[in-house]
Amino acid sequence: MTALTVPMKQSMKNRFIPPTSAWLTLAVFVLFALAVPRFATFGNIENVLRIASILCIVACGQAIVLILGGIEFSFGSSVALASIMTVLMLPDLGVAGGFAAGAGVILLVGALNGALIARFDLPPFLVTLGMLMAVAGFAATLAGGLPIDAPLTDAFTWPARGRVGGVPVPIIAAVLSLIALYGLLTHTHIGRLWYLVGANSEAARLSGIRVRLTIFAGYIVASGFCALASVILTSRVGSGQPGLAPNLPFETIAACAIGGIPLSGGQGRASQVLCGVLIIAMMNNAVVLLNLPVAYQQLMMAAVILGTVVLQRASAPIQVMWHLLARRGGSQ
Amino acid sequence: MRVHAPVLRSGGRFLVAPLCLGIGVVAFATTAPEFLSTGNLQSIVAQMWILGLLAVGQMFAIASRGFDISVGATVALSSTIAALGANFFGLPGLFLGPLAGLGVGTLNGVLIGFVGVQPIVATLGMLVGVRGLSLLLTDDGQVVPLNDTATAARLAFDPVLGLPPAYWGAVAFVGLAAWILNRLAVGRRILMLGSNPDAVHLVGISYARTQIRAYQLCGFYAGLAGVLLTVRAGTGLPTEGTGMELQSIAAAVIGGTALSGGVARVSSVVLGAAFVQVLLTGLNLQGVSPFVAQIAVGLVIIGSGLLEYAVRYFAPVNSRSRT
Amino acid sequence: MTTYVAPVFEVQGVAKHYGATCALRDASLRLFPGRVHALLGENGAGKSTMVKIIVGAIQHEQGATTIDGSAVRFRSVQEAIAAGIIPIYQHLSLFPHLSIIENLSAFSYGSTRSLSAKSATISRQEAETWLKAVGLDLDPETPVEALSLGERQLVEIARGLGQKCKVLVLDEPTAALTQEEAERLFGVVRTLCSQQTAVLFISHKFDEIDALADDVTVLRDGRTVIDGEPRANLTRTDLVRAMLGEAVDIAIRDLPPPGDVTVRASRLQLHANSSPFDVAVRAGEIVGLAGLVGSGVLELASALAGARSAVSGTLKVGERAIPLGDRGRAVAAGIGYVPSDRHAEGLFPMLTALQNASASIIKSFSTHGILHREVESESILPWLQRLKLHPFQPDLQAGNFSGGNQQKLLISRSLSLPQLRALIVLEPTRGVDIAARETIHEAIIEAARNGAAVVLASSDLDEVMALSHRILVVRHGNVECELPWGAGRAALMQSLAGRAAA
Repeated sequence: MTALTVPMKQSMKNRFIPPTSAWLTLAVFVLFALAVPRFATFGNIENVLRIASILCIVACGQAIVLILGGIEFSFGSSVALASIMTVLMLPDLGVAGGFAAGAGVILLVGALNGALIARFDLPPFLVTLGMLMAVAGFAATLAGGLPIDAPLTDAFTWPARGRVGGVPVPIIAAVLSLIALYGLLTHTHIGRLWYLVGANSEAARLSGIRVRLTIFAGYIVASGFCALASVILTSRVGSGQPGLAPNLPFETIAACAIGGIPLSGGQGRASQVLCGVLIIAMMNNAVVLLNLPVAYQQLMMAAVILGTVVLQRASAPIQVMWHLLARRGGSQ
Repeated sequence: MRVHAPVLRSGGRFLVAPLCLGIGVVAFATTAPEFLSTGNLQSIVAQMWILGLLAVGQMFAIASRGFDISVGATVALSSTIAALGANFFGLPGLFLGPLAGLGVGTLNGVLIGFVGVQPIVATLGMLVGVRGLSLLLTDDGQVVPLNDTATAARLAFDPVLGLPPAYWGAVAFVGLAAWILNRLAVGRRILMLGSNPDAVHLVGISYARTQIRAYQLCGFYAGLAGVLLTVRAGTGLPTEGTGMELQSIAAAVIGGTALSGGVARVSSVVLGAAFVQVLLTGLNLQGVSPFVAQIAVGLVIIGSGLLEYAVRYFAPVNSRSRT
Repeated sequence: MTTYVAPVFEVQGVAKHYGATCALRDASLRLFPGRVHALLGENGAGKSTMVKIIVGAIQHEQGATTIDGSAVRFRSVQEAIAAGIIPIYQHLSLFPHLSIIENLSAFSYGSTRSLSAKSATISRQEAETWLKAVGLDLDPETPVEALSLGERQLVEIARGLGQKCKVLVLDEPTAALTQEEAERLFGVVRTLCSQQTAVLFISHKFDEIDALADDVTVLRDGRTVIDGEPRANLTRTDLVRAMLGEAVDIAIRDLPPPGDVTVRASRLQLHANSSPFDVAVRAGEIVGLAGLVGSGVLELASALAGARSAVSGTLKVGERAIPLGDRGRAVAAGIGYVPSDRHAEGLFPMLTALQNASASIIKSFSTHGILHREVESESILPWLQRLKLHPFQPDLQAGNFSGGNQQKLLISRSLSLPQLRALIVLEPTRGVDIAARETIHEAIIEAARNGAAVVLASSDLDEVMALSHRILVVRHGNVECELPWGAGRAALMQSLAGRAAA
């Protein structure tokens, strides 16, 4: 009985291929390519990717926090603060200095979050929510509530509009972020620690891992991705805006969830971030191309978010059913 | 008979809201005399009840160890449906709004309690979907003017016994929430679920059903907030409510609702909502950037978490003395 | 046998599996009105599974349960409660944020059909009576979180006693009680018995069983080995022998000769009311720790691994001092640790087998923060091979392996430490099949042969006796005595059961 159980599980694994996020992404692409005119053209695909790039970069950071078993809301206002910081610092520090100042602010917010969560065992939800609000207020105060325009020099707009070898800079940045996330998660010491702490923090402690430091580092690296995105975002909008991207945390969480990262910690891959982001971006684009009202876009998005997570939750029963069917078929 | 010190334990958390509110009112009253003018106070009270209803609903979700970020979208949907209902059926049609909220809450509850989806993902999905639904109903976000604006204005602006009827309604429903939480078996079950989720089935309480009830209450109160909004504005507002989800969570947390579940008090949550509203309005009035309010709200949220840590650290619950 | 009294509740030959592990094979139990029935067995013997079946929290696969002679099968706790079977849980099932009176009413909140909480809440007077019955003089409005652990346990007991009860199930009710509180509880139980209630009493403390139990049932490996014998017919040594197993042929191992002292704990005091003691373990020596559940044996072992702090004391590996409870330093000093609760403290179920085995030594194959996964495989796979991981799929998620193979992962996590100086192993073969057990034993001896100081804490006496150079017997948080190699089973049993054993 005991000896039989494990091989049975394996055979189930080999035979049944669950609906993975990659398949879903491909299916969405094929569907839109067939159904939506002008969807599968080179120009449009480039457009999709460029628009998705910021979401993608920030989602990379969100994925790290989710793997740690946490959640990060403060991205929503720290990008706004960064944009304002950048624009305010432009005259004194120049373009590079301005962007660095903006990025530095985001890293600071991330460090503060990480310190509060790791040191005082506060719920990540509470800390990052409070930080979201406080930073939003700070950003708006700094800007006096209104957008501040930046002088649109070539250097300033390069992160959003420049091209390297014909490829838009944001797309390059997004690809590099994904590669960096992949590398961090699979090929670095700290990446492995994130998985271990997120999977079972008590077991991690007993294995000799410094759990608090690991969590702290996770929030800082996550805010590093957000900092990169803020540079591109500020450059794109060409101003410091107090209400820059309020939905960013929710969109990134949605992207990760659609990609199949469970929010319980210990699991998640870079490819899942990519799939989630692509599905969201393709849907938004198809809706624009089809000239559908925003309503349909949102209803479709809701259906995709809820549909995928319900499917993920339900995949265990589906696997069991499949297993029973397969066994019945085999015995006859 | 041993006397316990509630202030140090669960009681302490309920002091945050009144304390903050008191400090806020005194500070504004001294620096900006017009803060205490009748007009200003009235406008604070008026705006406060929308947030108050939302926060009270949110409190049920948080007390069961979850939260609901779809409430802002639910406000918009129920505001729209209430306006459509009132135009079609007359005044009683307004109550279609809370029913819509109840529907949204039921779906949330089923997803969370029954399917086992995390609250953040389930209610995020619902947020997007409910916003889409509001737009769909209103031809991409056109406001829905009430036919009978005069009655709506009377409900919202003509004081009867010092307060317009719509606000009396809000007060009554907040009282109802306190009654549900403190006096009804369902309120007790929600608190039990939040207090010790693993133990509810051991004493014969259904986990899924209780979870569904908590989100139904949350949705219903968001629906009421939507109706209040409609009556005040004289129109159904299908795109309102952005940012309210976070404000309501903030108000509920400042009002002492424990994110770890099991602790809630309606009166404190209302004071929490009042505090958030006073900050937003008061600072606006003072000519100081209104955004300082947001900083304060954010810091108070984090501070309430730190307070909990300090209580745990300095006044450890007896169980630590286990030998 | 004078007159035959029918059992009020009977369990006949039940079996229960959890996935691949078999919790109960063939267990029986008969409870008679007016008698206290003690259920004994070591951890993993199936006691808690048995209790869960009786109270309707889980359903058995084979066998039958009868109440008053007619067959029943409870599908929920509610059904069992309605039939008069009232559970009092070992793991507190109170609601800390609610008041005492609300907690006392918890069962009726679950069963009430009425909307109002008030009609389901018991009256204040009733609450006070219930509290008085367990000797608590507390305001019923006090929130439960303000109570001490012992008081909470008494509230839980009061809640059970307040129900209309035919069978009272007490699952280790005294674990958190002081002597005085426990005696008060026994008084209540005796009163209930005189009113013809049947009581099922689960405890690890022999003094309590002597004081309270009329009949005894002992479970071992999911089987009933003593079935409802009157307590008076059994000695303590009989009970210990039944719980831990008959003497089988112990394959005494060929143990390596010990070297210098490697691990030294000085003036170690585990609890506020236990006294400090010293422990020293030599390189290549295997020291067995034996003690019944609740004796502090697991606490001592985990303190030696730096996994748990203590009231006072120092821990040294060689010349290196390790702060108590600092597991990170302990790992750096080469102390391997296999915790007793595999799932809560050891396993990363969604990570791969390889990642589980390498968790403690990631640093050793990273340079400048870069993980060299080929080095990881090279250094871990031989260990997994040596421990005969089955199926040999290092990239399979750890949660998919059987219990024995999960345990092998935790053991390779320690064995793979680059400079393993000490190995602290807790319950290495609990819930593990025979073949894996053999492999794990060989691995432990090999670690000792390679110069590690080994501490082996186990409730499996055969294992301890077969593998240890010497055995430390732990009782009441102290090292009570030391037995040399080959001291014999009888001596060990006697010291475990305490001096009163005859």
